[in-house]
Amino acid sequence: MNSFSIKTENLSKSFGAVKALKGVSFDFSEGLLHGLIGSNGAGKTTAMRLLAGLLRPSSGSITYFKDGKAADFAEFRPGLAYMPQQASLYPDLSIEEHLEFFRALYRLDAETYARRSAGLLEITRLGKFLKRRAGQLSGGMYKKLGLMCALLQSPSALLLDEPTNGVDPISRREFWELLYGLAADRVLVIVSTAYMDEAERCARVHLLDDGTLLASGEPRAVLEEAGAAGFEEIFIRRGKGAER
Amino acid sequence: MNGFDLNRAYSVARKEVMHILRDPFTLVLALGLPVMLVTFFGYAIDFEVRDIKLAVSDLDQGPAARRLKEIFTSSGYFIPVEAGSGTVGMLDSGKADAALFIEPGFSRTVMGGGPVTAQFIMDGSDNSKAAAVSGYLAGIQRSAAFKLGGAATPEGLAVETRFLYNAELNSQWFTIPGLAAIIIGLLAILLTALTVAREWENGSMELLLSTPVRPIEIIAGKLAPYALLVLGGVFFVYLSSRFVFGVPFAGSRPLFLAFCLLYVVSALSQGLFISVATRQQQVAMQFAMIIGLLPSLLLSGFIFPVESMPPFFNYFTMILPPRWFMEAVRGIFLKGAGLRELALPFLALLALSAALLALALKKFKTDMEP
Repeated sequence: MNSFSIKTENLSKSFGAVKALKGVSFDFSEGLLHGLIGSNGAGKTTAMRLLAGLLRPSSGSITYFKDGKAADFAEFRPGLAYMPQQASLYPDLSIEEHLEFFRALYRLDAETYARRSAGLLEITRLGKFLKRRAGQLSGGMYKKLGLMCALLQSPSALLLDEPTNGVDPISRREFWELLYGLAADRVLVIVSTAYMDEAERCARVHLLDDGTLLASGEPRAVLEEAGAAGFEEIFIRRGKGAER
Repeated sequence: MNGFDLNRAYSVARKEVMHILRDPFTLVLALGLPVMLVTFFGYAIDFEVRDIKLAVSDLDQGPAARRLKEIFTSSGYFIPVEAGSGTVGMLDSGKADAALFIEPGFSRTVMGGGPVTAQFIMDGSDNSKAAAVSGYLAGIQRSAAFKLGGAATPEGLAVETRFLYNAELNSQWFTIPGLAAIIIGLLAILLTALTVAREWENGSMELLLSTPVRPIEIIAGKLAPYALLVLGGVFFVYLSSRFVFGVPFAGSRPLFLAFCLLYVVSALSQGLFISVATRQQQVAMQFAMIIGLLPSLLLSGFIFPVESMPPFFNYFTMILPPRWFMEAVRGIFLKGAGLRELALPFLALLALSAALLALALKKFKTDMEP
């Protein structure tokens, strides 16, 4: 598997008069589980879409690295998988039909597809629900199906936009265990979340607030530097500072 | 990675077929609309004006007056109603649509070979009915001149009228083949606009665009099932025309199919453009109804002849695909027109379809930019 990493320099994105992202510089180093932490409206989805090539930066740059060398997005893209925040699966298609559909999009041969789908169904424990339609799945199962569709291509970089939003605690834990497994396999995983407790599960955190980057680094180091007991406190302090 | 991957397009098409089969609204619309339109225009709507209630004020009561009344009623367009003392009042009250006044001495003058006049009054508040009736009157007048005045018209000239391609002026022969334009125009635009807008609205387009699938593969895969569905509707119109309404098909079937395909491409492109521009099903549906229905129903010549429109609208219809398709369909069905006779509609439709497709493809976004 190739090792992927992404860096941004003064990345900004505006939608008319609204500045969603204001000159942020991220360093998403390879093979780690990165958390993009922030409350609603912080700019997480905009950042994710920019990284996935679905939006164009208003200013600043994004550099993609493949095996340590800068690569064009076209070269990087085949190894990149993205799972959007909102429900993006087809409610009238079953788990099996989703996998078959994405198999064709990724042009997987029968043997590779059989191996990967069997592996994914085992770790997500969705094997016995193959015929169930996406619209009839629970929140956790739905997210797992989205993840399976993204992982079917065996990506080197995985972008997940609020994958645990609206998911029950047990399913959330299972989901994070899946992500740990991917990071252990040297996949670059970037997860955005508004749940502060999830920040501590990441190897690196990037705290976003109102389109600006508050802090970046290992979770414990970020907390120590801020002199805060938890990530929530950092955002609350920032909010009070802004009010003054 | 580059190039068009037929397997990926096929897989998008296969997924779309599953959506269609599992969505009652799409199925009912696609299968029900052609049936509804053919039934509606074939049986309920008749552009021929018949059963016009005619009140006759016969102050002559002679044989020629009776003969004149018979000529009116035997035409098939008029049914006599009992005329009271106030014949004009019957028009006011709606008990009669038209009135025929025959003055005293009418029969005597006819016998003497002199010129005679009978007055016909028509309710002009419904101008389309009045216009149709004034057309019938010319024929009735000629018939009366023959039957009352002898072997020759007063001018000594016998005029025989014969209508080519539709000898009995059967309005169903005129309308039913034209329904192909309405069905393609409405179904193709509406269904395409809805299916692509649904992908945007549900968020699945974001997921699709992040995969290696190319936009052209998404478009081809999404549109192909609807093209087949719409062509199925046209085939139903063809079968109904031929075997239910007895409309002759004098032209070339491959040419008819070629025109249908061109028109389908233009309609699908319009639907695609609407969906990309709106990205919302409800707005897309409203636009599709307006763009799909109005031009094909009102500005194509389906009901109102294009030649009779004011110059501005006459020229305006030239940029509307339904106008050219309608001309071609009627030409192929009834006149047996070939490509030589239909060269202008063919080229116009080809150019418009190519332009609309290019516009839709250009508008189709490959990212999430607003």
